[in-house]
Amino acid sequence: MAELGEADEAELQRLVAAEQQKAQFTAQVHHFMELCWDKCVEKPGNRLDSRTENCLSSCVDRFIDTTLAITSRFAQMVQKGGQ
Amino acid sequence: MEASWSTPPPSPSSSSPPQSSPGAADPQLRRFVEVETQRQRAQQLVHHLTELCWEKCVDKPGPRLDRRAEVCLVNCVERFIDTSQFILNRLEQTHRARPLLSGSLAD
Repeated sequence: MAELGEADEAELQRLVAAEQQKAQFTAQVHHFMELCWDKCVEKPGNRLDSRTENCLSSCVDRFIDTTLAITSRFAQMVQKGGQ
Repeated sequence: MEASWSTPPPSPSSSSPPQSSPGAADPQLRRFVEVETQRQRAQQLVHHLTELCWEKCVDKPGPRLDRRAEVCLVNCVERFIDTSQFILNRLEQTHRARPLLSGSLAD
């Protein structure tokens, strides 16, 4: 592969970063689907009713809260212990 | 493990790339890889949906797939798509509201 000029190199990096972000986002969607489908959809009806939608919203939010809570607790433990 | 009813893989558009210009082989190969990747993704989705919807819709397997189970399966596939879309929208909202979050949520 020929040597890339600086501008091309920067453009390539930008494209790769954009694709990585898209892939990350898609992976997140799949992950949440796995978590929340089981919790919120019992017997699939002929539409998504409001109870299910509320459950899905809560599911996403509570999982994010959980992640933040565990992350900050872990950071605390690392700071205090230093072991 | 392939399901017996799954479609056979498509064959590449031509059997051998043209010898004259080496660059011409690339678009054919690229196209083949694209089609093959899409086929695999579709198959994965079918397997995934089958597992999920089997759980939700078939309690005690009877002598045949009854009407209630069939309706449930149709609903299941459609609700799965609705749910994916709903979560996607929800996450987009969240990312807009709290952009710093994207780092910690990455697996």
